[in-house]
Amino acid sequence: MELYSKTATDLAGMLRQKQCSAVEIANSVFDRMDAVEDRVKAYLTVEKESALAQAARVDEKLAAGEELPPLAGIPVAVKDNICTKGVRTTCASKILENFVPPYNATVVERLKEQDFVMTGKVNLDEFAMGGSCENSAFQKTANPHDLARVPGGSSGGSAAAVAAGEAILSLGSDTGGSIRQPSSFCGLVGLKPTYGAVSRYGLVAFASSLDQIGPLGRSVEDVAMLYRAICGRDPMDATSAALPQAAASWDLEGGVRGLRIGLPWEYFGEGVEEPVKAAVYRAVEELKKAGAEVKEISLGSADYAVSAYYIISSAEASSNLARFDGVKYGYRAPNCEGLTELYERTRSEGFGAEVKRRIMLGTFVLSSGYYDAYYKRAKRLRQRIMGEYEDAFADCDVVITPTAPSTAYKLGERVGDILKMYAGDICTVTVNIAGLPALSVPCGKDENNLPIGMQLIGPKFSEGRLFQTAHTWEKLCGGFNAIPTL
Amino acid sequence: MKIDIMHLAKLARLRIDESEAAKFEQEMQDIIEMVEQIPELADDYQDVDPNHPMELRADDIRPSFRREELFANAPQMQAGCVVVPKTVE
Repeated sequence: MELYSKTATDLAGMLRQKQCSAVEIANSVFDRMDAVEDRVKAYLTVEKESALAQAARVDEKLAAGEELPPLAGIPVAVKDNICTKGVRTTCASKILENFVPPYNATVVERLKEQDFVMTGKVNLDEFAMGGSCENSAFQKTANPHDLARVPGGSSGGSAAAVAAGEAILSLGSDTGGSIRQPSSFCGLVGLKPTYGAVSRYGLVAFASSLDQIGPLGRSVEDVAMLYRAICGRDPMDATSAALPQAAASWDLEGGVRGLRIGLPWEYFGEGVEEPVKAAVYRAVEELKKAGAEVKEISLGSADYAVSAYYIISSAEASSNLARFDGVKYGYRAPNCEGLTELYERTRSEGFGAEVKRRIMLGTFVLSSGYYDAYYKRAKRLRQRIMGEYEDAFADCDVVITPTAPSTAYKLGERVGDILKMYAGDICTVTVNIAGLPALSVPCGKDENNLPIGMQLIGPKFSEGRLFQTAHTWEKLCGGFNAIPTL
Repeated sequence: MKIDIMHLAKLARLRIDESEAAKFEQEMQDIIEMVEQIPELADDYQDVDPNHPMELRADDIRPSFRREELFANAPQMQAGCVVVPKTVE
């Protein structure tokens, strides 16, 4: 078994037992990149030189007998909307094509303190707006399980890199499902943490009341390890929370005896493909055999959640993206006569179609005369959705749904069909709207051998219980960590 | 509902070509039709989660970035200032 195909947990153990070196791990990952990246196209920037230098430093520390943190020497890919000092951060947009941040996002600083090895920056839908990675201004990333299909999005590069063995772990961001849906499409474990659990400082803002950074990996333990490294209060993000003690400690081997699982029938409706439903039901049945109680519940506002999501997220995006004006950084349209022309041409030439659509939608719902009819209505629905989850968690500990209504679709298949693309978010958006944590884990394959994902949702700061439940399922099904042949 | 796409574009500081306008307009109509399905609800919205209120850091003066670092990304600089087109006639 090649080093690139092992989990971070295994590699951390091997490093400490001197069974391999950090440089060997990094080389294995970069060799794998040489072999498959021209077909997967996950990376926008590869940081081979600095990664190998960092790996060498880890080896020196190990040789000197230093005790190192768990992620030392582990190759991690970072989504290209997370700022990295001195390393280009593009958001897969022409408007930031040459932007080199003067600072690191807090999550990157935390990982640097752990001596991680950053392999590079990975592809996304432009400004994280999309569900297939096809909205990147630079390249289309392929799904390692079937190169003719999308990896999902917006964290499609983060998912494809880990699924293909071009990284051991990765960071993504999730505003409406952007970590969980690509994890589902690529057969990975992916966590959208509780709103406030992870600092957003240095994450290029899309919708600030919904955005969270989170980990993707090939095992529950790996994802839990990366989450532990990045979570916690950061004075640079006023919305980040001091985590309750219980939120950062868990017992993966705790099992599910007595765990109350709720299945909201609205998430198993006709919009969800049959093989997906069947796979989720089968996994829940196994958890039941292992001692969990299962009950049907109702989350009645599910049908309207996508609409509320697009209103709220686009409103926030139109404000957040107002900063891209061609003045202090980023692309500037050449030969402009006046300031208005500078703004208009810079933004029109710099943003892609989907980003423009969302800015326009956000501008519309916030504009005079429409604010009450759209934005306020969406905010009220947000309150209703939060209340529905609160009621649900009085009766159950974990809510389980499909992560996405389908498995990975073909590249190009949904381009132009905007509403169908938006409907793909139906299972994931309520979690962001309510600020809850949710974990996507693989739960089988469809008739085309494509991975299916199951979503575990819990009350705020219940990440530990999600990990524990997911790990129980991981053991029952024999593990997730398998890299497809490419 | 009729959406004035050119007016919206102006508000958003975007330019939409006449040739693209019809397509954009149709797409926006479709999206608006979708979002109009949200039911009317009573107004009980709380913007801040009472269990997790935001906490601002102390407003202390501390060392920040060097000017050169921040301006390294500026499209056009002159004498330590960002150059923009003439704004006042």
